[in-house]
Amino acid sequence: MNITLERESLLRPLQAVGSVVERRQTLPILSNILFSIDGGKLTLTGTDLEVEMVAQLPVETPDSGDITLPAKKFIDICRALPENARLDLKLEQDKAIIRSGRSRFTLATMPAAEFPNIDPIESPLEFSISQQQLKKLIEQTQFSMAQQDVRYYLNGLMLELSQNVLRAVATDGHRLAVCEVDAELPITEPRQVILPRKGVTELMRLLEESETTARIQLGENHIRVELPDISFTSKLIDGKFPDYQQVIPKDPARIVTCERQPLYEALHRAAVLSNEKYRGMRLTLSANQLKATVHNPEQEEAEEELEVSYDGDEFEIGFNVSYFLDALSALKSDQVTIGMIDANHSCLIQGNEDHNSRYVIMPMRL
Amino acid sequence: MAILHVDMDAFYASVEVRENPALAGRPVIVGGAAEGRGVVAAASYAARKFGVHSAMPMARALRLCPDAVQLPPRLALYSEISQQIRAIFARYTPEIEPLSLDEAFLDVTASETLFGSPVTIARRIKQDIRDELSLVASVGIAPNKFLAKIASDLDKPDGLVEVPTDGIQVFLDPLPVTRLWGVGKVTGGEFDRLGIKTIAQVRGLSREFLQREFGKFGLHLWELAHGRDPRPVVSDHQAKSISMENTFAVDVGDKAILRAWLMDMGEQVAYRLRRQDFYGRTVQIKLRFADFKTLTRAHTLDTATRSTREICQAALTLLDDALSVTSAPVRLLGVGVTGLCDEPPVQQGDLFAGGETAPDKQRELDELADAINNRFGKQQLRRGGGFH
Repeated sequence: MNITLERESLLRPLQAVGSVVERRQTLPILSNILFSIDGGKLTLTGTDLEVEMVAQLPVETPDSGDITLPAKKFIDICRALPENARLDLKLEQDKAIIRSGRSRFTLATMPAAEFPNIDPIESPLEFSISQQQLKKLIEQTQFSMAQQDVRYYLNGLMLELSQNVLRAVATDGHRLAVCEVDAELPITEPRQVILPRKGVTELMRLLEESETTARIQLGENHIRVELPDISFTSKLIDGKFPDYQQVIPKDPARIVTCERQPLYEALHRAAVLSNEKYRGMRLTLSANQLKATVHNPEQEEAEEELEVSYDGDEFEIGFNVSYFLDALSALKSDQVTIGMIDANHSCLIQGNEDHNSRYVIMPMRL
Repeated sequence: MAILHVDMDAFYASVEVRENPALAGRPVIVGGAAEGRGVVAAASYAARKFGVHSAMPMARALRLCPDAVQLPPRLALYSEISQQIRAIFARYTPEIEPLSLDEAFLDVTASETLFGSPVTIARRIKQDIRDELSLVASVGIAPNKFLAKIASDLDKPDGLVEVPTDGIQVFLDPLPVTRLWGVGKVTGGEFDRLGIKTIAQVRGLSREFLQREFGKFGLHLWELAHGRDPRPVVSDHQAKSISMENTFAVDVGDKAILRAWLMDMGEQVAYRLRRQDFYGRTVQIKLRFADFKTLTRAHTLDTATRSTREICQAALTLLDDALSVTSAPVRLLGVGVTGLCDEPPVQQGDLFAGGETAPDKQRELDELADAINNRFGKQQLRRGGGFH
């Protein structure tokens, strides 16, 4: 096996594939990247057994063959080579020799046969969606995913497929984010799958703000997203996502409407003096006025007043100010509506111009 | 500073005699059964004449005093009376540090203008206890805890000993070194070897010498020998932890039995947290094995709690972890909560916390259990063993 590669065309797919390779591995082969050459194509594969990333690029060689190279070292070498460098990669017994200009590296290899492959997805459900839309779904919700929660099914993003809508839902049990886009899906029964947190982060990195399509395959235990030049496969979390519909307030009695940006800025300032751990904030509502008060264990206090549209009774409720800021910065509308039932029930925040994203936050008892 | 050390005389035994006047004057021993490796928890003065004292194996006590009336301890009763005694203390000062059911330190420094001299206060407390509870207490009065504790013990029963600020050395000097706090068999033997028998002799030694002989502990001894003890009275409302432990009559190797005991004690610790209006953040367990090796494990919760369920769950997880590496029989099991605060923790609501594990539901359950137990006696209502 003997190929010549251009640093500039190699670097991007290599880094994408390398990003799933974990620094610390129990299985030595998992710190390597699989290189397969066949029919004028180089296929790069990286995996952590949960997420697999496969990239392809054309190469000019009549050779074919497979080998694995240590991911981090190979990437570091490519990165450190000068721009527009050319690399010659050649196998000699169980070593790989890389030559570029006056540089020469000998890397240890491991046999390709040991590299774990995710089997092809059997009879998958297939559909397409623009990269842009898929990106939006993730962007608008991913910050609400749980992290290392014992309720393992919360440590990911739930994708809900129904005939005309593709919906993403994330929750850590304290707040919840829902975003939906229109889509033509070839199904009759709605279906839910949960993507693990790491897969979500990796996929997000691959997606671009473009109209090009992402082709999605859904199997029993895996999801695959095929993008031009790169394909992403992830295991699904085997678990039942909680009934999210049930916690979205249906008809909240207390409605506040206001401009998003000034509210965000006011809460952002107040948050400076919140308790670093609990991030508690008290909202006091009275006729057309919202007051946010925040204090910390050092007895320092912040108070912000804001004119809003509100015609309900005087009312107090506590929140984690970070959850509020996350929702307000994800929303793109100029005007937002906050719907509340009482101080013990979840509250709903959504944009007035864009109803695709909704945020639910559970209050705090202060 | 005016510190009182109040020590009930033969507390458990005196309570039993009070409850059954026919026992008056007879040797009474309260403690576990001799067959179950029981020890003497308390002995009446009539029994003490035979050489019986607390912490002695019951089997030996009965050999010394075969005619003794042996009674099993009734801790719930003693604890109730202990509360009544504390209520009497509270008339004279809020600064009460209970050491156990039958002894406590009281700081009465600030009470003098209201109730008179420390001696007057001590007399009134003794009188109140005698009039209202038909029990006898001994009291030591001193400028610090160390001296007060020695003083209460010097003239038992029904003692009242004051150590005046200008008479500390006169009081301490003739006492044997074993009266110094922390001097037991080992250090006592060391002093013996050095030919030192009285506190006066310890005082005669230099700080440097004591430090060389006993390390940091030597400096502590030097301070004590001079009658100095800086430790303040830490009252219940400043308590740092609430805990409970139990030594088994027979070592327990069965995990299910240990779990059941732990839940029982966890429930009582949670109950005491609620009654004293505390929340605790760190749950810890203590295991002592047959070979006296002791192991403690602690878990800090996200937010402070007083919920029976949360405390028991954390304790059980710690127990399971600890027992996953050993299956040695357990001699002593304890559970406690530290990191106490008296403000309710900030509580982030949970979107999906419906059902019986919801914090609100658990609080209602705890309140209901407390109400029933307060009314009908402790431990009428307990949790089933359904936690996992």
